[in-house]
Amino acid sequence: MFVTKKAISRRTVLRGMGATVALPLLDAMIPALAPAAATTPVRRFGVVYHPNGVIYDQWLPKAAGANFELSPTLKGLEPFKNQLIVITGLFSDQAEANGDGGGDHSRACGSYLTGVHVKKSDSNVENAVSMDQIAAKAFERETQLSSLQITADENSLLGSCDLGYSCAYSSTLSWLTPTLPLMAENNPRVLFERMFGSSDSTDPRVRASRLQQDRSLLDSVSERVNQLQRQLGSADNRKMSDYLASLRDVERRIQKAEEQSSKELPEVAQPAGIPADFDSHVRLLYDLQLLAYQADLTRVITFMYGREQTARPYPQIGIPEPHHPLTHHQQNPEKMDKCAKIQRYHIALFAQYLEKLRNTPDGDGSLLDHLIIQFGSGISNSDRHTHGPLPTFLVGGGAGTLKGGRHLVYPEHTPLTNLQLTLLNKLGVPSEKLGDSTGQFRELSEV
Amino acid sequence: MTRLSRCLSWCACFAFCAVALGFQANPPTPARELVSTYCVSCHNQRVKTAGLALDAADADHVANSAETWEKVIVKLRSRAMPPAGVRRPDNATYDRVASWLESEIDRAAAAHVNPGRTASLHRLNRAEYANSIRDLLAVEVDPQAMLPPDEQAFGFENNAEALSIQPALLDRYVTAAAAVARRAVGDPNLPPAFVRYGALKGSANDQNYLRQTERLGEDFPLGSKGGVAARHYFPIDGEYAFKIRLQRTWDIQIKGLNVPTQFEIRVDGKRVAQFTLGGEKSPLKTFIYDADDVLEARAPVKAGSHEVVATMLKSDDVLPEGPGPDRLSLYSRNADNANSPIAIAALLVGGPYRAQAPLDSPSRKLLFVCHPPNAAEELACATKILSTLARRAYRRSATDDDVQTLLAFYQRARATGTFDEGIRAAVERVLVSPDFLFRIQADPPGATPGSVYRISDVELASRLSFFLWSSVPDDALLDVAIRGKLHEPAVLEQQVARLLADPRARSSLIQNFFEDWFETRNVWLLNPDSTRFPWFDDNLRSAFVTEMELFLDAQLKEDRGVIDLLTSNETFLNEQLARHYGISGLYGSHFRRVKLADENRFGLLGKAGVLAVTSYTTRTSPTIRGKWLLENILAAPMPAPPANVPSLESSNKENKPLSVREMLEMHRASPACAGCHARMDPLGLSLENFDAIGQWRATDAGHPIDASGVLLDGTKVDGPSQLRQALLAQKTQFAKAVTEKLLTYALGRGLEYYDAPAVRAIDRSAEANDYRWSSIVLGVVKSAPFQMRTARP
Repeated sequence: MFVTKKAISRRTVLRGMGATVALPLLDAMIPALAPAAATTPVRRFGVVYHPNGVIYDQWLPKAAGANFELSPTLKGLEPFKNQLIVITGLFSDQAEANGDGGGDHSRACGSYLTGVHVKKSDSNVENAVSMDQIAAKAFERETQLSSLQITADENSLLGSCDLGYSCAYSSTLSWLTPTLPLMAENNPRVLFERMFGSSDSTDPRVRASRLQQDRSLLDSVSERVNQLQRQLGSADNRKMSDYLASLRDVERRIQKAEEQSSKELPEVAQPAGIPADFDSHVRLLYDLQLLAYQADLTRVITFMYGREQTARPYPQIGIPEPHHPLTHHQQNPEKMDKCAKIQRYHIALFAQYLEKLRNTPDGDGSLLDHLIIQFGSGISNSDRHTHGPLPTFLVGGGAGTLKGGRHLVYPEHTPLTNLQLTLLNKLGVPSEKLGDSTGQFRELSEV
Repeated sequence: MTRLSRCLSWCACFAFCAVALGFQANPPTPARELVSTYCVSCHNQRVKTAGLALDAADADHVANSAETWEKVIVKLRSRAMPPAGVRRPDNATYDRVASWLESEIDRAAAAHVNPGRTASLHRLNRAEYANSIRDLLAVEVDPQAMLPPDEQAFGFENNAEALSIQPALLDRYVTAAAAVARRAVGDPNLPPAFVRYGALKGSANDQNYLRQTERLGEDFPLGSKGGVAARHYFPIDGEYAFKIRLQRTWDIQIKGLNVPTQFEIRVDGKRVAQFTLGGEKSPLKTFIYDADDVLEARAPVKAGSHEVVATMLKSDDVLPEGPGPDRLSLYSRNADNANSPIAIAALLVGGPYRAQAPLDSPSRKLLFVCHPPNAAEELACATKILSTLARRAYRRSATDDDVQTLLAFYQRARATGTFDEGIRAAVERVLVSPDFLFRIQADPPGATPGSVYRISDVELASRLSFFLWSSVPDDALLDVAIRGKLHEPAVLEQQVARLLADPRARSSLIQNFFEDWFETRNVWLLNPDSTRFPWFDDNLRSAFVTEMELFLDAQLKEDRGVIDLLTSNETFLNEQLARHYGISGLYGSHFRRVKLADENRFGLLGKAGVLAVTSYTTRTSPTIRGKWLLENILAAPMPAPPANVPSLESSNKENKPLSVREMLEMHRASPACAGCHARMDPLGLSLENFDAIGQWRATDAGHPIDASGVLLDGTKVDGPSQLRQALLAQKTQFAKAVTEKLLTYALGRGLEYYDAPAVRAIDRSAEANDYRWSSIVLGVVKSAPFQMRTARP
């Protein structure tokens, strides 16, 4: 229901908001946006996280190299095979207990993009800056939002997180600083407002005056926060510096939005909230990701189908049992089949997104040509909490930096961070080390 | 558990040295006597089991090693150490030494108060934010939809350390401020927007199993079935649209259109729309997919908060509420086809349309403390409005700086807009101010580093209101604080009593304190295995929640003693929950107070919500229940489990299914597991008669339930009722658990060893009042950590 206002009256749009909240809405909008002028292709990066590990033999493709055969789980990616690189042999050794006891789910997710062994703590979290945030920092001058964190899980940190570990570790992949996890958003409406502002209007004048008000609010608040910092002294330095850093980030977003206020934005109606069913929810969240890339509102997105240990049931595909207990299948074939079915389902929804990315023109190609998306999980065998070989693939052309259509097999215990370090460099963010990385891959662009 | 076995082997040779250690010129203190005899063979500087070296602790002046001795006190009081199998003191010795340690430490603490240090910046969490907006501006917002989730630490979501500040959050604050200010002032140009209310409260997902063949509760009219009841905030006088969305099957067909159904929508009990749908063959093929498009109506509504209900009428041929042959179908979770009973998925409220210029909404009454009669008096009136709001929102006297800042926003917007628009811009500034969004605590100017000081009356007022209301102080509280009277004991007591008597205290304590403490908030996330528990539907889920809410509300309202949480023979049930508990003779969906006959159901330990959140999806977990009891009832939390804990085998070598007790026994056979499980499992096993969703059962996997066990103090228990008796024998431990949790929540920080004397002082004074809630709350408010703070070192 992203529609041009020219075509459909406001009343219809508003009626539509009520009636069609459950539908993924982007299709109608795509042709309405003129493709951006062809320039140097923009590099963009996404992560898609599948929680609770996989049934690995359903995941692993047959044969290595260019003549590999897609596995049952990955079958749904057949149409994108020429832009697909499946990577086998990667491990997240930092997610092992290393003396910290239970908590594999938290560590799997916590170290997924950082490659460090996270601190076991309920309240004083400590990790490292995550790989997506290193990229986001490098791109932040270009776009309004340096990155987006999105989840299809509940917008609440209730429920079981690993004992002794803050729920933050298992609920987000993105760490702005070693002590600041970025919480993922699940509400399409909130995401929409972050992307397009909350002026309830697409009228440029209304938007401009809203931005001006936002800017004066933040200027004034910054002044007060500086005053407070003097008053409170060095106490609680961390909170204060988080506060100031956040203010600067939002200020930058507003400034960027002002600069780009003449840019053509889709005239869109807001989604009403969280759609009723998981299927539509995920599709809408993917649509919003596409829109964010397409309108160049951000170049870095992390998306989670759910947090680690999510107990989501999937009745729509005939699985009323909750996911996490199911993944502790103890080799029960029936349970393993159901886990594999969930894997295929996630891939199927993802493939729909890829299809749209491929059909969305971007510069001299499509969004998919220019994107790099890393898909995977920080747990391999869900039943036993192993942290390798991790199910991992890349999809997208990476603006010519990736050569798809291959299954690359590395020796066991090759750090997952080697891949991410390589990707940072492919994205034009020169980096030499990430967490426990030991080197880069040459093979992503070569045959 | 190599450490334990190694330690045990050390025992013999250290026994000798231990005696030597106890030999001093002065007669040995009870502490020295005890640890030399029972403890130092493992907890010494060489072996350092669990990082504890008791031979290095000062046993003559125990306050010098208070951090160590407090750990010892916990182990003594809970009888957790020495481990089973080695020589242990008798119960009298345990208590005598613990009491001696406590009184020594308390005496020293009284002479040198250490209140600890709460954070300087304490962000409001989203519940507090929403409550504050409600109390400041009479605007109701849905915090779940408006703000990102809050991190939890030490069991609660108001921990200052854990509440982070990040760009997405500030972004949301700016957005929320604009939305709230616009609604508070009332803007006739407010573009219409829809809010969606799912049929299942507390759940955004409406793929639910909420049976809608009966009246769903007190919020619904008599003779109705199913539907949605919601409190909706109408920002301005105007017309509003109401839409009903029906439930669909997995393949998105609307359920139950084969039978004609009457729908109605009510606002504050008054019917605003009626429809009939279904029953006849539709001319259109798409009918099965979009029939509910017609369930839309508009009606004028006054600004403010109103109760909106969308429901269906029970048809005449159905029996009225009352006894009948199995009216509750057992397998409602299987009903997923087009002929399943019709059900409302959601109510959407949208608007305003044809909004009228606002005159007198509840928000405007609060905000506009004056109305400028002419342009000349506008500035004076704006000043008055904004300084009044700033005082309430910042919870202190508004400074000149505050008011000037706000007036600048007012004036800039007034230059191009109306008076109202000027106020609106300034309200936005208030709502993004750190002075509103954070509780700010600064050391007094010139405070000696590390010194202890009493917090100001205004800071005390905020602590009090956020503790009891999860919201800002009201004018009455703020007034006495600003006048510098609040710290006076009589004034403070009177204010505490007043705040506690307000219904806001009960609802916020239930939602933010009790539901986190008991973990019953997780009832919303329960996912019992549908093959084992097909009758667990969302009506039952909601009933678990309602029972807890009503039970706790009554406890607080009637100012019961906290022990009553364990012993109360009263609860609140409707027909479905009563059946779940095996109680007959209750009919209908409404809840009523019930006297329980079965002692096993008394108190918290008989509540399905508690029993279910401490179970797995497929089976009970005595270990989780035991751990829950140790932590929440016995004030003796368990350490984290060791690495690589093997999961339980559900069948034995001959592939014969095992009962949960048998599985645990296999697990406990491993020495690495035995130490902790010996503490947790007997507690949990005595609740084995309650299955994973809290139903009574006599067998498990074909075996009769064996709910017997021996607790650490040697007490034999068999079944829930005896467990409760055993816990009652340790009721001071329960009181301690209550006080520790309440103090943690009240302070918004984790407790440290130096807080233990304050906890004991609170309990001593509350004991004289039978541990009534009012006396524990007052004790917390009067305690040193609540009233004082240590300056930055």
